[in-house]
Amino acid sequence: MLALRRARTQVTPAVVPPVWLAGSKTAGATKGGRLADQISIRIDGEYVAASQGQTILEVARASGKYIPTLCWLENITAVGACRLCIVEVSGVARPLPACTTPVQDGMSVVTSSERLAQYRRIAIEFLLAERNHQCAVCVSNNHCELQAMAQRLGVTSVHYAYSWPRLPVDVSHPRYVLDHNRCILCTRCVRVCAELEGARVWDVAGRGVRSMIVCDASRPWGESRSCTNCGKCVQVCPTGAMAEKGFAVEEMVKQDSKVRRLALHHGGRP
Amino acid sequence: MKKVRLATVWLDGCSGCHMSLLDMDEAILAVAKKAEVVYGPLVDAQEFPKAVDVTVIEGAVSSQEDLEKVRAIRQRSKLVVALGDCAVAGNVPAMRNSTPPRKLLERIYVEGADTARGVPSDGVPALLRQAIPVHEVVAVDLHLPGCPPPAKTIAWVLGELCDGRMPDVKSKVKFG
Amino acid sequence: MSKITIDPVTRIEGHAKIDLLLNAEGKVADAHFHVTQVRGFEKFCEGRPYYEMPSITARICGICPVSHLLASAKACDAIMAVAPPEAGLKLRRLLHCAQFVQSHALSFFHLSAPDLLLGFDSDPARRNIFGLIEEQPELARMGIALRKFGQQAIEGMAQERVHPSWVVPGGVNAPLAPAVRESILAGLPEALAIAGKTMAHFKGILERFPEEIAHFGSAPTLYAALVDDGGALDWYDGRLLFKQADGAIAAAGIRAQDYGLFVGEASLRDSYLKAPYFKPLGYPDGVYRVGPLARLNVATVTGTPRADRELEEFRQRFGPVVHGAFHYHYARLIELLHALEAMEMLLADAAILNPRVRSRAGVNALEGIGMIEAPRGTLIHHYKVDESGAMRWANLIVATGHNNLAMNRAITEVARHFVNGAEIREGMLNRVSAVVRAFDPCLSCSTHADGTLDLEIRIISPN
Repeated sequence: MLALRRARTQVTPAVVPPVWLAGSKTAGATKGGRLADQISIRIDGEYVAASQGQTILEVARASGKYIPTLCWLENITAVGACRLCIVEVSGVARPLPACTTPVQDGMSVVTSSERLAQYRRIAIEFLLAERNHQCAVCVSNNHCELQAMAQRLGVTSVHYAYSWPRLPVDVSHPRYVLDHNRCILCTRCVRVCAELEGARVWDVAGRGVRSMIVCDASRPWGESRSCTNCGKCVQVCPTGAMAEKGFAVEEMVKQDSKVRRLALHHGGRP
Repeated sequence: MKKVRLATVWLDGCSGCHMSLLDMDEAILAVAKKAEVVYGPLVDAQEFPKAVDVTVIEGAVSSQEDLEKVRAIRQRSKLVVALGDCAVAGNVPAMRNSTPPRKLLERIYVEGADTARGVPSDGVPALLRQAIPVHEVVAVDLHLPGCPPPAKTIAWVLGELCDGRMPDVKSKVKFG
Repeated sequence: MSKITIDPVTRIEGHAKIDLLLNAEGKVADAHFHVTQVRGFEKFCEGRPYYEMPSITARICGICPVSHLLASAKACDAIMAVAPPEAGLKLRRLLHCAQFVQSHALSFFHLSAPDLLLGFDSDPARRNIFGLIEEQPELARMGIALRKFGQQAIEGMAQERVHPSWVVPGGVNAPLAPAVRESILAGLPEALAIAGKTMAHFKGILERFPEEIAHFGSAPTLYAALVDDGGALDWYDGRLLFKQADGAIAAAGIRAQDYGLFVGEASLRDSYLKAPYFKPLGYPDGVYRVGPLARLNVATVTGTPRADRELEEFRQRFGPVVHGAFHYHYARLIELLHALEAMEMLLADAAILNPRVRSRAGVNALEGIGMIEAPRGTLIHHYKVDESGAMRWANLIVATGHNNLAMNRAITEVARHFVNGAEIREGMLNRVSAVVRAFDPCLSCSTHADGTLDLEIRIISPN
């Protein structure tokens, strides 16, 4: 299942990139071997150096260029699930997700435009319409990456009819809660559990709008045979979908910095 | 200077957005100079006037009566402002939406009563299947999310609207 | 039968329409009170973690979210089987008092003062807070300032004026900052002065309202309120006491967990608002009232000096148990004074700054009931959870709901006295609305179950 979630385009295997590229790793990179190919691309009109095998997002970040993201987590396999990081690439008709698109020599990328702003707002609005996001009474209110992104992009209402699906709240675990109403299927939990903790508790079941995060191929979290209770999934969850029990409304501030630091050293492993 | 004709309405809401409006405290004196409140919970008008310049709506559209009210309001108002998360996005009233209304009513009036059990049926409007944002029924000119939106923002917005300007609220509001 | 509809009843919290049915002589035969909205908190909270309930139920009402936060938190405390630390309790009480100040100020100045100060028969186009600002600017400013004081105190403690998330199961989630304590203390003298001036002014104009005093829901009922072991008012943690109209005690010392033995609920055919009743007397005889007037009828004293002096004077004038609903206004002003004095007493003790404000625990009981006095009356939150802490069942009995039966009767009484079907003047209909205002109903609250309380005033006569 996880293999399908990797970047679809083949990435040329490369060694650890040079230090001046801010230590970012490439998805699927392996150590050892020859030096990475140096190439040059343009981002927003400016020439920046890049290495073969890097993604547009990695190069942009290294050059100090901001591209909004939601499902992306540094040094964890990128999946392009949220579509927030879409950019315009010359010669390509539709916008491409920067987190999974590898750079090519001579590529010209635009990171912000009217069209991109509109599409990113649509992406957020779809997320808000698809499930039940009552920010006002959510444990992550004021500490939520979805809410913050909506605010950043200037989304003040959703133009699409709300779905109001009936979704469960899994309170079976003694320490954590999974509220499917708040889940945006970013799959950070899936990837972090697989790549950092190695327990592989989470997966995605179902298709389309019926997709759901499932534990141990669909068991209540409290009955998981593989969960180590480490809580990494909870801390990297961008919304209030995963939270620690006992944190009341507006109290769930995620402690994701430690997990991100771990990912820097150990992330990207299959 | 002709005063702007302002109306405020609450549908399926908790009145918290109206309280946030009153939380502008003394600034309401300045609003009172620019606007005449022609209808709303704070004044005694019995009928929604035929011509209103700005109507501020709090609350989701949840019953047949809300639906009729909001349609009439849209017809008679030049500008409609959706005030608060309930009017903009459904919010807490919409938490009932994945439950069929019949189950809701039975839980409250049959299981939830000690005597004279029964779902009310006389002179009470039917519940819509779902409690929905105002813009899913009528066009809305300005959305002010928040639960409630900050008092200062409401005061500023009313001031701008009374001066004939459409404010850009994007940096001043957020859901929740 | 012809009918007159007062739609909406204005200057109340929520929606109201009243139906008045006139007989052949043009006199009011009956009044109907239709609550026409419903929201479903008790149902849609099923499955939510119990500790979300305070902030979810806060959204029942924007005027008194603090009441729901506190009652809900108390129910959650019971589920956790904890008591908040001393400072946490003091802070909850302080918040509670601040809420009484702003809510009673709103009720008096913004909602009822237009009738009381401008006149029941005054021009409807100006009979509102904006008209008050123009005609009696000093009083209007006082009202705005008093409400602001309460709201700022809440904001100082809890970061938000409306729907603060500060109150949590086990206590509150942040201690009181010394600077906030200083600023509330600094604002108290002016707030007390305003409350005192308002009281004096109101007592001075009482003689203008002999008819309203005599006929605004003056029929005796039972009264219910929370009091401490000595019988003094205890908004936050008292035991429920039911007092008869003649002053005898019908039931006392009722703890939260026993409310079900004394309070039942009946569904009404023509209203989304259920009718609570006093179980020992059954339905519909067990009609009782809650709220400021009921509390002062039930309690022996408030417990603070100025309020108690006023209470003494009130009783000298109107009797040991007062029935006329018009006197809710007087009672509300006495409670305003009490709230401010109580805030002063709570803040005087520096122990309120103690950083330990929250007890922590998991689920230790599968049921919890929280009972407090909201500004409009007794409020009960009753929750059942499963072992994992998911809500399985909730029952909320909200202040204004308790007054449902009494309000119906009061409306009928007022309509019968003031409304002459042959010649209907706006001031008559305003008085019917005004009796509802006296009760200061919180219709969003009472129809937590759902939506708003639409009292439909329709005058129906046979012509």
